[in-house]
Amino acid sequence: MSSSTSTAPPRASFLNDAGVRAFVYQAAVFLAVTGLFYYLISNTITNMSQRNMSAGFDFLDVSAGFNIAFTLIPYREGDSYLRVFQVGIANTLLVAVIGIVFATIIGLIVGLARLSTNWLIATLARWYIEVLRNTPLLLQIIAWYFGVFNLLPRPRESIDWGGLFFLNNRGFYMPGPVPQEGFGWTLAALLVAILGAVLIVTWSNRRRRATGRIFPGGTVATALIILLPLAVFYGSGAPLTWDWPTLRGFNFVGGISVPPAFCALVVALSIYTSCFIAEIVRAGIQSVAHGQTEAARALGVKPSRTMRFIILPQAMRVIIPPLISQYLNLTKNSSLAIAIGFPDLVSVWMNTSLNQSGRAIPIVAMTMAFYCVVSLAVSGLLNLYNRRMQLTER
Amino acid sequence: MAPDHTPTPPLVFTPRPSAPPPPSTVGVMGWLRANLFSSVPNTILTFLGAYILYVFLEAIISWALINAVWEAPNRRACLDAVGRSGACWPGVIAWLPNLIYGLYPKDQVWRIDLGALILVLWALPLFLPRVKSKIAIGLTAVLVYPFLVSYLFLGGEKGWIWMVLVAGSLATFFWVWLTAISEMRTGLPFLALLVRTLAGPDPIPERARLVRQLAWAALFVTALVIVSRWQLVEVPTRLWGGLFLTMVISGIGITFSLPAGVMLALGRRSSMPLIRGFCVAFIELFRSVPLITILFMFNTMLPLFLPVGVEVDRLLRAIVAVCLFAAAYMAEIVRGGLQAIPKGQYEAAAAMGLGYWQSTTLIILPQALKIMIPAIVGNFIGLFKDTTLVSIIGLFDMLSMARAVGEDTRWLGLFIEPFFFITMIYFVFCFAMSQYSMNLERRLGGGQRR
Amino acid sequence: MKLGLTLLAAAAAMVTVSTAAYAQQTLQQVRTRGSLNCQVGLPTPGFYALAANGTWSGLDVDMCRAVAAAIFDDPNRVQYQSVTSAVRFTSLANGESDMLSRTTTWTAVRDTQLGLEFAGVNFYDGQGFLVPRASNITSARQLDGATVCVLTGTTTELNLADYFRANNMTFRAVTNENVNVLVETYLGGGCDAYTNDKSGLASRRAAFPNPNDHVILPETISKEPLGPVVRHGDQNWGDIVRWVLYGMIEAEEMGVTQANLAEMQRSTNPGIRRLLGTEGNIGQGMGLPADFMVRVIRHIGNYGEAYERHVGANTPIGIPRANSLNALWTNGGLMYAMPFR
Repeated sequence: MSSSTSTAPPRASFLNDAGVRAFVYQAAVFLAVTGLFYYLISNTITNMSQRNMSAGFDFLDVSAGFNIAFTLIPYREGDSYLRVFQVGIANTLLVAVIGIVFATIIGLIVGLARLSTNWLIATLARWYIEVLRNTPLLLQIIAWYFGVFNLLPRPRESIDWGGLFFLNNRGFYMPGPVPQEGFGWTLAALLVAILGAVLIVTWSNRRRRATGRIFPGGTVATALIILLPLAVFYGSGAPLTWDWPTLRGFNFVGGISVPPAFCALVVALSIYTSCFIAEIVRAGIQSVAHGQTEAARALGVKPSRTMRFIILPQAMRVIIPPLISQYLNLTKNSSLAIAIGFPDLVSVWMNTSLNQSGRAIPIVAMTMAFYCVVSLAVSGLLNLYNRRMQLTER
Repeated sequence: MAPDHTPTPPLVFTPRPSAPPPPSTVGVMGWLRANLFSSVPNTILTFLGAYILYVFLEAIISWALINAVWEAPNRRACLDAVGRSGACWPGVIAWLPNLIYGLYPKDQVWRIDLGALILVLWALPLFLPRVKSKIAIGLTAVLVYPFLVSYLFLGGEKGWIWMVLVAGSLATFFWVWLTAISEMRTGLPFLALLVRTLAGPDPIPERARLVRQLAWAALFVTALVIVSRWQLVEVPTRLWGGLFLTMVISGIGITFSLPAGVMLALGRRSSMPLIRGFCVAFIELFRSVPLITILFMFNTMLPLFLPVGVEVDRLLRAIVAVCLFAAAYMAEIVRGGLQAIPKGQYEAAAAMGLGYWQSTTLIILPQALKIMIPAIVGNFIGLFKDTTLVSIIGLFDMLSMARAVGEDTRWLGLFIEPFFFITMIYFVFCFAMSQYSMNLERRLGGGQRR
Repeated sequence: MKLGLTLLAAAAAMVTVSTAAYAQQTLQQVRTRGSLNCQVGLPTPGFYALAANGTWSGLDVDMCRAVAAAIFDDPNRVQYQSVTSAVRFTSLANGESDMLSRTTTWTAVRDTQLGLEFAGVNFYDGQGFLVPRASNITSARQLDGATVCVLTGTTTELNLADYFRANNMTFRAVTNENVNVLVETYLGGGCDAYTNDKSGLASRRAAFPNPNDHVILPETISKEPLGPVVRHGDQNWGDIVRWVLYGMIEAEEMGVTQANLAEMQRSTNPGIRRLLGTEGNIGQGMGLPADFMVRVIRHIGNYGEAYERHVGANTPIGIPRANSLNALWTNGGLMYAMPFR
């Protein structure tokens, strides 16, 4: 017995054992968190029952009874609260998607302007970023709404672009496409064309990597996407009519229209976010060492290909993660629509519906759940991308 | 006979004075040419930029300054004078104290001013030359100052525990300035100077410690005497508001979020799955939903989560929500900083025999925090701006106060002017912070580049 | 999070309703705290106005002050909680506020499904429309296809939709929770009409750059009985708020005012004696002293006095009371207190 103990390595004290410690810490945290949750939930149950508050989701079938100023999906006053929730989600996603597109475009332009050799342009871009980044978005949304969109002319004196597009203080109007019978073929052709384009691009990329020969995959793919549906469209007899906006009574009727609150929100969100994107773009481009450009030139790579195959892929690695997080921020910031009354999810659901139905707990929970799902889904995709693009650490 | 030998002067190359550069490349003209009109597209861009700038500034200046009304008894008078072509500032001026201090009683406002003054005085030594104990002073400004100022702002009955805390805080304030002065004059911290004066240049450690303890006791007793004679009227938090409230919420949020964010980030990188899981869940949850929903949740739900009869102050609820939100964001920034530290640093620390906490606090965090400064300041600015949202849950921050101006019967409908005014305030603060951060980045980055 | 809340909701639904433990508590809590937590809305002239010096005043604020006066004999022992309308009911139901006095319309759903109890009506309002005079609109029926500015989260929003549906007309809403945003939108031409309770329309119009360029249409499209609200389950507390309100109306009917209170306390009229507690003891049943109405009238006055002080014809709000629903029933209005006996 004694001989075996003498040969064993000196054992650390039980308390210093890393495994034991880890177990104790985790058990403590687990107990604390579950205890806290149990305490909070039991309190809530007592409180709610005493105060006659109902937490059920039964109100979702009840008719909401209020008008929503702008809906992407059909909605009438008699529809249920569940429908209001869907309308809110659709509106929020619409604002987010359009906002993201514009924010990226403006951000790219301003980011490049910031690196411009023209002093006035570079300075303007810098001040654009400084001013807009350093004022609360809420105030900017209000400023756009009142400073610009509410000052536009009234419907009768609308700004008119060729009788097709109208802009006035009730919104922006454009002709709406009305698909007729047989339009489905065009859509199907578009789908086929997109599939084909993806295949072509993948094949040309693979061939380039394998053989170094370059096939203009992008051009061919673009041509395919444009020409094939167009051919089918005219082949099937152009089954599409347009619904023109016309001035009738108080407002324009027909076509597609968006209210000024939407315009103000999208403009404010895109411009605010574009400041952050501009800085991200600038940092990304500056992060690629100049030696890379020089090396490419020394190897005789054309400037346009240097940008496409050498600079951009490296800059993208720096740009994409913060860019996605800005996209998420934009989506979350769209909740400020409440300030100018655009019916996004928070405004129409967590404000109006909550107010009318009084069911705070389920409504707040559903709102948070929506943002969580969007955010986690995007984070998940981003993590996948990061894993693929990460530099392997040696 | 030697021929007349006059030495020929050695041929020295004397360059001709360089010709003046073409007039088009120097001076104002040259600068303009190089930076504004170097090519046709550049010239077009320049004119376009100048035009946009002109239109924008002209509209704002004519509304806010040229056509504005500065003195009027009510909004009607403004409207009668200039209609809507100019701003009506008297309403904003009449409400200015409220925009800054909220509903804080007017005869007590000096307490807020004093609190701000103390903060400035507390932080001032950080910017004085020859002051060496900057880290200690900075830390006390963040950790000890809040006790003093919380009593100053809140007032009311103070129990003995609070009294001791406040007195300790005041004593620390005395220490900060005594140290700053003694270091400026003699280069020695105050306590070291005291030890040298009373116990000689090379005292036995026990005596030195005794002197230090006595000095602290003296400071504390002085502070305690001052604090115990101090009687302030209670100002409940529901009267707090305006810029003051914005400062309080963002200040506490910023102070809390940094340590909490560091703990969360470390937890997220921990090897213990349960702790990592909780940290990830917390960070992802709070980052994925808008602050407005978190505030709403805390404001309306917190009273339901707590037992009957427990009332949590409305301001406290908002602060808790803001703190948790800010901590989750800070955690991701810290994680970024931690990831940027090369693996070799961790390995070297482990090889030196440093434990987890030692290597983290002594090796990793100092390097990581330095990299993170711009992001942290960016986060602070974001938090400062985000406090506008507390108006939605009914706290009278600057935004709610701006709204209240337009609901005052005298100034009914005055809406754009107060908003414009507070936008300017936000801009000034955020811009100052962002400039300071850039400055800091340059100074710290200088060491990196060598 | 969602799972947790779903579980929580299900659990809450299963627990049987027991209100006994919570009843009878509010008065006790208010006394212990030493002040009344009274919820008002975001500052609104006439009803809960906030002055630059930080004091609240208005018809609804007087309701809070009257209840505080009845309990403490001091109308200033009120802590005003000013919250947005989105959280008003939750804030009352979760125990944060003791009562809510903020132009809240009494509706069946609110009364029965939200754990609330309406304690009476202190202002009868109705919804109307404001349009530019230049539009030549003279009736709300001409508003088909119009864009209408409406305050969100209120019954106004629902009434507007109902009215247009009932008359087979369409409209577009421009919604906001901030009246000033709506007014700015309306003045800028962002909507053809602005709708709100008529009490608010007149005062807003008075603050327009050119008030005479705008007209209020004759139609009143809804009933808006506004009154104080308490939590469901504490009947005694509801009684206190209700009878303070009735007491103020009764006092006006009896002719008891702030000025003649001392004289009236010596009155021989049995109705006045019961109201002021010189005879009988109505207050006792609610846990209040017999002379609780003396306290209310001394500090606040009767209903008519409060009305004239804050929203009457001589104030900037300027809503004449004569021949309106808010006149006493003896003058053809709806203000009618249940008998004090």
